Amino acid sequence: MGDTSPSTDGTNIEGESPQVEPTIETDEATITDDAELERTIGLTGGLAIGIGTMIGAGIFVFPGLAAGNAGPAAAASFAIGAVVALLVALPASELATAMPKSGGGYYFISRGLGTLAGAVVGLSLWFGLVFATAFYLVGFGFYAVDTLAELGIAVGNELVIPIAVLFGAGFTVLNVTGTENAAKLQNGIVALLLSILVVFLGYGGLDAAGIVGDPSAPEQFAPFGTMPILTTAALVFTSYLGFAQVATVAGEMKDPGRNLPLAMVGSVIIVGVLYVVTIFVATSALGSERLAELGETAMVEVGRHYLGAAGAFAIVFGGLLATMSSANASVLSTSRSIYAVSRDALLPKRASRINLRYGTPHVALGMAGGPILVLTATGQVELLAEVASFLHLIMYGLICVALIALRRNEPDWYDPDFRVPGYPIVPALGALASFALIGFMQPASQLIGLAIMLVTAGWYFYYARDVTLKGKL
Amino acid sequence: MTRILVPLAILEGESVSAGLTTLLEPMYVTVLGYHVLPEQTPPDQARLQFEDRATDALEDLAAEFGADEGTADYRLVFTHNKKQTFDRVAAEMRSDAYAIPGTTGPVDQLLVALTGDVAVDRIVSFVTELVGDRDIGVTLFLATDDEHAGQESLEAAAVTLFDAGLHVRTELAVDEPPLEALVDAAADHDAIVMGERAPSLRSLIFGEETERVAAESVGPVLVVRNTADRDDTADAADQPSPSDVDDS
Repeated sequence: MGDTSPSTDGTNIEGESPQVEPTIETDEATITDDAELERTIGLTGGLAIGIGTMIGAGIFVFPGLAAGNAGPAAAASFAIGAVVALLVALPASELATAMPKSGGGYYFISRGLGTLAGAVVGLSLWFGLVFATAFYLVGFGFYAVDTLAELGIAVGNELVIPIAVLFGAGFTVLNVTGTENAAKLQNGIVALLLSILVVFLGYGGLDAAGIVGDPSAPEQFAPFGTMPILTTAALVFTSYLGFAQVATVAGEMKDPGRNLPLAMVGSVIIVGVLYVVTIFVATSALGSERLAELGETAMVEVGRHYLGAAGAFAIVFGGLLATMSSANASVLSTSRSIYAVSRDALLPKRASRINLRYGTPHVALGMAGGPILVLTATGQVELLAEVASFLHLIMYGLICVALIALRRNEPDWYDPDFRVPGYPIVPALGALASFALIGFMQPASQLIGLAIMLVTAGWYFYYARDVTLKGKL
Repeated sequence: MTRILVPLAILEGESVSAGLTTLLEPMYVTVLGYHVLPEQTPPDQARLQFEDRATDALEDLAAEFGADEGTADYRLVFTHNKKQTFDRVAAEMRSDAYAIPGTTGPVDQLLVALTGDVAVDRIVSFVTELVGDRDIGVTLFLATDDEHAGQESLEAAAVTLFDAGLHVRTELAVDEPPLEALVDAAADHDAIVMGERAPSLRSLIFGEETERVAAESVGPVLVVRNTADRDDTADAADQPSPSDVDDS
């Protein structure tokens, strides 16, 4: 490891410099001077990561909260979220095909906009994923308690947080010690979830539209006006964070020029449609007031309304699987984003050590798992979700800016297989929409998000001020 | 010169025995050092930490196979999926066979299995080149339900090998479980040559036949690849992808 490439320079406070080597990317492997890195994730795997991360939150946790805030118009909030996510997913796809490397958004921004922006985004992405995972785990806790209730063991909501923390710790330990391949399991879980949802939403959709069953009295679409639609869009945007997780495994994706854009854009479209239909079905079934009372697990009652005990059980079971797969996929991307910044000397190299016994990055997994447990213990569902969205939205906005910066002055190496349609309008709108959505969040979330960004910027000036990354592939 | 791939789990200390090195002398050997990672670990991260150690070990191994004389080289791959890696590298190298290393002393007796739907011609020509004019006895083995047809195809292959100057004998197993019969026959041989078969339901459930034979028989197993339907992928792998062009 002694020789570092001449293309990067500068060292951090410990004298470590970024480890960037020239590579040749083929559809099947990344070829470095002495070694090859197999690309093993196909389109199905990519879609499973994207959908698996997203679907847990949007369908199984948010409907009750969102309907409480915006009424049936929460469907519009989800649609707005989908449009914003698409406006970012397209530029992100172009950058990912130009730079199919581990680290996703962090990598694009550090190369397109320089080390300061890269450090802030890279470290914020770590915290953003930590907040998101804590949010998924709290959702999991609610479903675990409901599962027990369905089985006739009433334990009450005070057990939600202990269960969530216990499972969070379990996930972290499993990720450090588990060497069997969970990817196939993840694909299977996502396929099963999609089948449950299609059956459930298909039946519920027909019923809600008045084609089968008793017609329900339509409720006023936006009982609280338009402002709550936008604030709810900001809240539920956490349900669209998964497409960026696809980019964090870009270095392991087969045929990245084709599969990365398809997986990112495809997963946003699929979950976006499912979310909007879910809200429509849920608000038609119970009305938004009742949904709001039921909170995080409102969907269970929606399932009971349409299909009786079997429906309730299917939703409880689906919710357990979905929140679990969201949490698991996020832990994996967190450790990859920590690796990406530590490779570039923005964090100590120790952070990317691999455990000799298990072959897993135990330091990075610990740096993900520790804060996740602390945040899960707070149990603040809305706050966790919004801070996660805040930190991701900053990255999304900067991804769009990085794309424009790179396109205005294309470096020699910049040769994406996929070019965003509607340049420069799409990335410009993507950046504006991302930053605008932040404005509709609760002040507490904005303050916490801002504080995290300031801390990461401070870390950059203290630790890695001399590291140069801009324009280095 | 026929190319053969020798995949080794290099960081787990897997190595080759002296008998295999000698046996493969007539071949061009590519030592494929691989390291399988759990999905939590990005391959690039493992490369940073382990590349130097793996490269040192691979250089030594390749030297044993004659890298200095130009009859061997090595490649190092970090992967989540070893089967995919073997297939890709074998296709890119256009290698005709791969070895499951096992352990053995000097190889005097070679068991060549012709059972099932395998490319007998390619196995026979591989064995001819492998043995050359060395004093290695070859046993052709076939397990079948149809005694007459089995005998005929064994004879035909034996004649080809005999004409090439090899010491050949044949062994036919009729109405026996093929795998068990092969493992029994392998007992008094030092190494096995067999053909790769198309994946079947059986291989999906019980694992690749070749791997099971290797596990049961301790000695090296040389597998002649079933390349008939793979020429397309080999061509595709040789084409530079668009992203190669500007990379310098």
